[in-house]
Amino acid sequence: MLNLSSIQTSYGHIKALKGIDIEVEKDEIICLIGSNGAGKTTTLLTISGILKPDSGDITFEGESLKNMPPHTVVNKGICQVPEGRRIFPRLTVLENLEMGAYSLNFKSQTSNFKNNIEKVFSLFPVLKERTKQMGGTLSGGEQQMLAIGRALMANPKLLLLDEPSLGLAPIMVSKIFKTIKEINEEGVTILLVEQNAKAALRLSNRGYVLENEVIKLSGTGENLLHNEDVKKAYLGE
Amino acid sequence: MLLQQLINGLTLGGVYALIALGYTMVYGILELINFAHGEIYMLGAYLGIIFLGLFTVTGLTSVSLPLALFLTILLTIIVCSAYGFTMEKIAYKPLRNAPRLSPLISAIGVSIFLQNYVMLTQGATDKVFPQRFGDSGLQFLNVNMTYLQALIIIVSGVLMLSLHLFIQKTRMGKAMRATAQDKTMASLVGINVNSIISATFIIGAGLAAVAGIMVASYYGLVNYYIGYIAGIKAFTAAVLGGIGNIPGAMLGGIILGLVESAGAAYISSEYKDAYAFIILIVILLIKPAGILGKTTEEKV
Repeated sequence: MLNLSSIQTSYGHIKALKGIDIEVEKDEIICLIGSNGAGKTTTLLTISGILKPDSGDITFEGESLKNMPPHTVVNKGICQVPEGRRIFPRLTVLENLEMGAYSLNFKSQTSNFKNNIEKVFSLFPVLKERTKQMGGTLSGGEQQMLAIGRALMANPKLLLLDEPSLGLAPIMVSKIFKTIKEINEEGVTILLVEQNAKAALRLSNRGYVLENEVIKLSGTGENLLHNEDVKKAYLGE
Repeated sequence: MLLQQLINGLTLGGVYALIALGYTMVYGILELINFAHGEIYMLGAYLGIIFLGLFTVTGLTSVSLPLALFLTILLTIIVCSAYGFTMEKIAYKPLRNAPRLSPLISAIGVSIFLQNYVMLTQGATDKVFPQRFGDSGLQFLNVNMTYLQALIIIVSGVLMLSLHLFIQKTRMGKAMRATAQDKTMASLVGINVNSIISATFIIGAGLAAVAGIMVASYYGLVNYYIGYIAGIKAFTAAVLGGIGNIPGAMLGGIILGLVESAGAAYISSEYKDAYAFIILIVILLIKPAGILGKTTEEKV
């Protein structure tokens, strides 16, 4: 479904990715783990078209994304929940969700929009109580739910999640991971970037370990969980 | 006397508000003070004269004056919006990722260019705006409100209300607000940020065009440098209300207009242009964020 081959991306003169190969099949949950600065966020931003790769190619359902602007990538069915959630702080919760559906050109009254928003509200009932509240006034956990809900409004085929558990209370973290599983079961393919490697690997079909701007290891979630190097470096065992 | 000044002030304030909106909308999205915005207003005034002159020569004004005026305004808006759109593409878009000082210098360059371009093509002397309304008007409570004043107040009120509804209620208006708050995230939900920026320049220029025609017909005289002082005053209005804040620009414009006409009537009309700058200094000392401006706080 999604294929990255020898992707190199840089910030100015600094190489942030030195030739990355990643493959995501339909209906999978794939996780990308690695320490700070390994290039995980860069990978997601490159897929979404925010950063342009210097070389290599990205294809999605056979079509190259390499020279597409970000809004066109969204139209192809790839939505990203970025690091730090990036809720529009001075739009209401409802308006944030409406913006999520921007690429679909829905009118707020159409049944499609209503279906999507009902789906989001059934995943995250708390958002329904807060529709008129400004996004910036929500708690961290609520903002994370809104960020995921906003991405789901566009009916994505592939959802990119960047550190969804960052800065959340443990109970919230497990709720978010449970929800990711539910979203996947609804037929959305997921590429997950996480620092919480143990929880992420348990959830995922396969994983990639990113170290010093290259893929160091890859395998099924189960295998990586029992790999000695991964245990030492990322699982604290 | 007081009521009379209120009417004069609202007339002036409505016009300042229309120009201030262009400053504030562009600032809200690009954090750029578009110093060439006043020149769009000046172009509006000139184009108003040109189109109205054209309709007078062709005889349309004697057939139907309202139609001629409507077409004048419409054509002026279209041409000015084209100027605004082109200005952004040529002078600001290539500098989108440059240090913040670069587009500011570019803006001043555009401003100087447009002034000289109009001076060379239209001449350096004052042009007279054809008077179509005369001094007739409404008399009530010892007050004289000309039809032109009434028209200016109504038109600016309607335009401000429409803009407010557009920004608050429509899909594109919401996308504009989203883009102003976080451009990267806006592109991640599928908003074409470049078209939103273009739309902002087009709308701002359209409003300034209307303001240009209205002021030109109000004062009757137009010159190539009128954009400078009007631009600075409208900029003051935008800062007064809180730069980047749309209702703030409307409020700031009206307050500025009221202060200016009250100052001219009760203190001295010699210092008419100075009141705006006194306000600017005071607001920067007391509440630098402006009346409706908020210091942004974001949860992490």
